[in-house]
Amino acid sequence: MIPAFGYVRPSTLAEATAALAAPGARAHAGGTDLLGCLRDGVFTADKVVSLSGIPELRGLRKNLDGGVIIGAMTTLAEVAREPAILAGYAALADGALSAASPQLRNQGTLGGNLCQRPRCWYYRGDFHCARKGGDKCYAAEGENQFHCIFGGDVCFYVHPSDTAPVLTAFDAALRITGKQGSRSVPVAQFFVAPAVDYTRETVLAPGEVVTEVVLPPQPAGTRSTYRKLRARGSWDFALSGAAVVTTLDGGRVRRARIVLSGVAPVPWRVPAAERALVGQPITAATARAAAVAAVQGAEPLAENGYKIELVRGAVEEALLRLA
Amino acid sequence: MKTPELYYVDGALPETAVPEGTPRPWGRTTVIGRPLPRIDGYERLSGAAVYPSDVVLPEMLYGAIVRCPHAHARVRSVDSAAAARLPGVRAVITGATPAADLRWYYTPTVFTKLFDPECRFAGEAVAAVAAETPQQAWDAARAVAVEYDVLPFVVDEHKALEPGAAAVQAGGNRVGEPVRYARGDVAAGFAAADKVLEATYSTAAEIHTPMELHGCVASWDGPRLTIWESTQGVYPVQQRVAAALGMPLANVRVIGRYMGGGFGSKLQADKYDLAAAVLAKLAARPVKLFITREESFVCVGNRPPMTMRLKAGVKKDGTLTALEMTVLGTGGAYPAGGTSLGDWLVRDLYLCPNVRTEMTDVFINGGPARAFRAPGHPQGAWALEQMMDALAAAIGMDPVELRLKNIPKVSQARGGQPYTSTGLDRCLTEGAAAFGWSQARRRARSDGPVKRGVGMAAGLWVAGGGGPPSTIVLKLFADGSANLNMGASDLGTGTKTVMAMVVSEELGVPLDRIEIENADTGTTQYATASGGSKTVPTESPAVRDAALAVKRQLLAVASDELKTPAEALRIEGDEVVSSADPAVRRKIARLEGLQRRGVIVGVGTRGPNPEGKVVNPFAAQFCEVEVDTRTGAVRVVRFLSANDSGRVMDHLTYESQVIGGITMGIGLGLTEQRVFDRQTGTMVNANWHDYKIPTAMDVPADIVAVPIDTPDDEANTAGAKGLGEPVTIPTAAAIANAVYDATGVRVLDSPISPMRLAPLLAAARQGGAR
Repeated sequence: MIPAFGYVRPSTLAEATAALAAPGARAHAGGTDLLGCLRDGVFTADKVVSLSGIPELRGLRKNLDGGVIIGAMTTLAEVAREPAILAGYAALADGALSAASPQLRNQGTLGGNLCQRPRCWYYRGDFHCARKGGDKCYAAEGENQFHCIFGGDVCFYVHPSDTAPVLTAFDAALRITGKQGSRSVPVAQFFVAPAVDYTRETVLAPGEVVTEVVLPPQPAGTRSTYRKLRARGSWDFALSGAAVVTTLDGGRVRRARIVLSGVAPVPWRVPAAERALVGQPITAATARAAAVAAVQGAEPLAENGYKIELVRGAVEEALLRLA
Repeated sequence: MKTPELYYVDGALPETAVPEGTPRPWGRTTVIGRPLPRIDGYERLSGAAVYPSDVVLPEMLYGAIVRCPHAHARVRSVDSAAAARLPGVRAVITGATPAADLRWYYTPTVFTKLFDPECRFAGEAVAAVAAETPQQAWDAARAVAVEYDVLPFVVDEHKALEPGAAAVQAGGNRVGEPVRYARGDVAAGFAAADKVLEATYSTAAEIHTPMELHGCVASWDGPRLTIWESTQGVYPVQQRVAAALGMPLANVRVIGRYMGGGFGSKLQADKYDLAAAVLAKLAARPVKLFITREESFVCVGNRPPMTMRLKAGVKKDGTLTALEMTVLGTGGAYPAGGTSLGDWLVRDLYLCPNVRTEMTDVFINGGPARAFRAPGHPQGAWALEQMMDALAAAIGMDPVELRLKNIPKVSQARGGQPYTSTGLDRCLTEGAAAFGWSQARRRARSDGPVKRGVGMAAGLWVAGGGGPPSTIVLKLFADGSANLNMGASDLGTGTKTVMAMVVSEELGVPLDRIEIENADTGTTQYATASGGSKTVPTESPAVRDAALAVKRQLLAVASDELKTPAEALRIEGDEVVSSADPAVRRKIARLEGLQRRGVIVGVGTRGPNPEGKVVNPFAAQFCEVEVDTRTGAVRVVRFLSANDSGRVMDHLTYESQVIGGITMGIGLGLTEQRVFDRQTGTMVNANWHDYKIPTAMDVPADIVAVPIDTPDDEANTAGAKGLGEPVTIPTAAAIANAVYDATGVRVLDSPISPMRLAPLLAAARQGGAR
């Protein structure tokens, strides 16, 4: 059922990147989605390179600048209960804890969560859609209730990650390593919008893997939260969500980051909503104003206009949690 | 009045003998009614139980089915040469295989071929393969090259009746003449009403998705075929398979001792049985053919979606004056009861002299429906029970009081035949009291964005009384242990446990000394499929009859040895005791007569139900929800189910049924819906992630069962009525009513997802509603 593939489990990053440089190689992190994709023919693999035997990819450490570095192979469950995350980056714990189900969080990794493939039911189903090399997006004229209201172009999927919008809001960066060496990419520039290239979701070059997530220190007075709305209580991707990071100074917002999930093919930052807050205290009125600003420019499809209400609700509720 | 067609009856039923005499009702019981755990709980939880999907036979092959990917297509050619050459492949069958040239009947007159050239839904079977491993079989199925002429399709039941719609069947898209029902004068009823309300409600199609997949293992031994099947009824499977293969019933043995859920989708045989049997014959090896989870969403049934226009009239004092309902539904591409029983609650739940209903069943290019836990009833309750709520609000009456004003003592839709018992009024009053209904209704409303509300709904189930046939054979061994032999399946509801309790009640045999042999056409007696909430009321009286037959013989044996008339003896624990002189007693295992005979065999049968009366269970459910008005998120806080199902046989299995029924009803009310792609007519959410059954996070921990524990001694000798379906009938409607109570917004279409509710709430805010 699954076409035959080779499997290696190297113990060093160098060996892993060397193996991943081969054409047709695929990285295996938590493995919660890889076999399903292979079985469903979403993509193929000649060789699966497991990253699970590389100790330095797992765990969390303090950075010299006061921030935190998380190994990409750290599980979502570990991220969600890590004291340093709960204390300094609460929204990331929220995001990790709201993903998937307990079983999947015990196995799924932070890096894998960022690099997961679209969950669009056409992309995952027996539809030869544009992202798979076909000539159209079936969602555009089809069953698009779970699709995007921002940033769609040729393809209208929504990025499924709950941690990506949070990391974007924290101005986090990703350490990426390939055979040629390492580089650092801000999370905000890691994801590729379909208007740029609808055949890929990230800037990862063939053979590259995310090795670390680098969280910068946050200024004093910073608080954060992630509000996720979904169709059922667990094991469900966001219908829409809001990652909010605010820094208050004298009771007024000095700096705000609001990044939406579940509504765009990439984590969707809404600067208009951020601007609505800066210089203001967080009150019912300013939260509402930011919520209204957050949906400016939304272009719903036939079946997903409800997401406008949900975005407003998520932003408003997230902000009021921080008031 | 014609009795409604019951879905668990497939063809003629055998008659079984009427029991000799009728035993006295139990009155007080010592075993029955206690909260006892499943007698097979250890086997089920430890993995020791061998479900059909666990069966592994020597030399067994694995089968897979090639399915049509198009909503409507004609098979032009099937080329299986490449598939047949793949490693491990031992047999490939197509429409051109002589042994597979079989008929598959949807009704006594509507049939297709097993592999029919015309595929009327995505997921229809086109060919099948058998190979050494499941993976090889799936690969081979993919390698079968099928060329199709793709035909126009329609997957929307409303569009199916529009001019120019694709024709699903040659005769048009109407399954038949609309089903009409009328009593009284509806126009006069509306004229006499103080308030008349009208609304259109709809429920989405649901998929059963039982834990154990659908499938079988087929094995030939000369002319004899044995099938291990995950089924609710081994005899219906035997009948269908024998008829399709032209075999004597005696040569088809179907075994289904354990099974992992069915909810109505496993009441019958399936095409996979024929495919497995033919593959096994051609390969001369046993074949295991279980379909995949994805297949199970498209080809083994669904709950038909219904659109229900309902008009209702009520007087200020709460008297219902008229009900008028039109229903549009679809059972898919073949006749499959697309509107079946959708109007039953409107016809029969409440006193109403003037009722008219009309139901139109249409074909679409979708998988055929199958019975789904209370066919038609949760759909009908979604409409009627929301309407009752709206009527109560319109006349300023409590919803419970409005229902209490309209309690029928007879089945109005069955010519006024009385119910043997109706606890509907007690379900309403005792349920409301236990829930704290009036207090909850009076509680102060929150000014914040998160609103609390309470809702309730009631229901009855059209069947649930059970009836003949059933034959039970009970053996009491020399050591006092017993073997209970019954044909019925235990589909996870606790049937085996309850039947062992019946034996224990009559004979004093401890539960751990009762072994049960069940659901095997080769070794157990005829039983109808376990469905229709009828297994307990059907089988318990027959088991009791068998136990009494054993008891009579046992006491006769003891009478000789204890020199005491049998009438003066009774069983007390593991002893026979004289009622007159407690010193006269002997252990059953020490009775010489029993030792000599080795075994006492008792045969029991199910007697007829009372003439001219109707046996139905009744229910009322109450719930509290929390609605986030900014996001449309609904959280069910607590649920209570008050049920009149006659005598409570086992309090623990009873509570489990309540929890399961409410969980399933939460799915209908809040999360579940089949979604067809309008461009291709194929289902886009045919998996357990995109098709959203409730998780533990969606079901409240606070679920309370309030049994109206009154034996219905007129119904049968166990005093029990069915429970499995009534517990899910009012659930979704109760949630909808609670959402209305919380927000003032009425959600007419299921499910009440944030995507549906949030825009309605926003519109209500615009309109200035609360």
